[in-house]
Amino acid sequence: MTTITPTTPAPVLQLEHVSRRRASRPAVQDLSLALPRGQVLGLLGVNGAGKSTTLSMIAGALRPDSGGIKLNGEDFLERPELARTRIGWLPERAPLWPELTVTEHLDAHGRLRGLRGVALHQARTNIIERLELQPLARRLAGVLSQGQRQRLGLACALLHKPALLVLDEPANALDPVQVAALRKLVREQAAAGTTVILSTHLLGEVTAVCDRVAILHEGMLRHDGVVRSDDLDALEKTFFEIAMKHTPAQAA
Amino acid sequence: MSALTVSRLEWRRLLVRPLAWVLAALTLAWLAWNFTLLLGSFLASQIQRAAAPDGPGFTDLVAVPLLGQLAQLAFLVVPLLTMSVIAGDRRNGTLPLLFAAGVPASRIVLGKYLAILGWLLLWLLLTLAMPLTLAHATHLDWGKLAAATLGVTLMLAALAALGVACSSFASHPAIAAAAALILALALWSVNLGAQMAGIHGGAINALAMSTHVQPLLRGLVSSADVLWFVLLIALSLALATRRLATDKERG
Repeated sequence: MTTITPTTPAPVLQLEHVSRRRASRPAVQDLSLALPRGQVLGLLGVNGAGKSTTLSMIAGALRPDSGGIKLNGEDFLERPELARTRIGWLPERAPLWPELTVTEHLDAHGRLRGLRGVALHQARTNIIERLELQPLARRLAGVLSQGQRQRLGLACALLHKPALLVLDEPANALDPVQVAALRKLVREQAAAGTTVILSTHLLGEVTAVCDRVAILHEGMLRHDGVVRSDDLDALEKTFFEIAMKHTPAQAA
Repeated sequence: MSALTVSRLEWRRLLVRPLAWVLAALTLAWLAWNFTLLLGSFLASQIQRAAAPDGPGFTDLVAVPLLGQLAQLAFLVVPLLTMSVIAGDRRNGTLPLLFAAGVPASRIVLGKYLAILGWLLLWLLLTLAMPLTLAHATHLDWGKLAAATLGVTLMLAALAALGVACSSFASHPAIAAAAALILALALWSVNLGAQMAGIHGGAINALAMSTHVQPLLRGLVSSADVLWFVLLIALSLALATRRLATDKERG
């Protein structure tokens, strides 16, 4: 008789003892995390805590000095091309080519992420509609406002329907209406099975959209736990405890 | 595949940048003006040349000098064209986007290089079209013209590779342009002192670009000259790749 053992799917993202030095100091130290499908992780930390370095490594733009990163169980460091189709990344202050239009940006990103022909056209049309970019479609990226740039960056990150969405302070420069739309979008993505990592300075952002929160401080993971929408006070308390406890000189 | 994607992206950026159009318009207008001058001079001396049927013809007096003028312009045009290919990406913060898309540094460099090379070849073709429009009415020395075209093509390819390398090392496009211009001029005239001292051989002459272009412009194709350009291109692109890979490592 054959017994079938249910297998647990590999986490979408798994960080194993990841460390990275930048500017001759440890930016991220011994960071381990595992994220299942459809989870939204809020990444918190004061400036210089190592959030952007962590996200750059996850997005494939930066290689860790040590440790491992796995995407759906596959070694991402051995196969950096996995980032191409599986990860969408919005870096802090969406980097754009100023001489290209919004549509050309989406085409360029789509091609870089492996989309071609009809699939690219369809993906572009969908994302323009979803993020209400129609009025900006033919405008040059160089003349967009900061909020519009951020929306375009988000569109580029979402274009190829990645399994893992990495957002570095996506609410920067967005107005309250756009922030609300962003939150809705993130929740929709999670409901559709996309795993999302959202780095932010706004604790309210985390309680509003995240299922889980990780707090980094001086490159180390100091807190990792679930978060609920009514948990803002508790989260604030935890965050400030960590920030004060580990940086007495700054707190004084 | 990804090198072609990068190349397509860079080509698109080139086409929408006013600098590329302005450079093309101004230089082609200048070359067209010089073509008419060379042609006028050629026509004026036709009677004298009729006495010496084996003397220089249309190719020597019009087509090759025109290519020579394009080669001179290239010292200014190529650095301006290549200055922002990588330095611009670095300033825009768009290089990490290419890294994150899993494009290796070598393909980023190759893609950008191919786009610039495409523009330069188009520029060369448009210049060549001027003497070629008269091919039916005059006697063209096709072999000599092919050799001169090969020489200018190799020179453009080498200057482009040098420009891409400078752009990969510079933090600002203007610095990249200045560095590419100075390096190109230095490479062209590194043997000037030796020439003035009457030394026509040795390593210093072998190092100079002029030593390898001039025989090709005279119609003499040598594998050593071609190899010199191939090595310069390979070295420049390897340095640019190395620099980009370091950028990715450093973050």
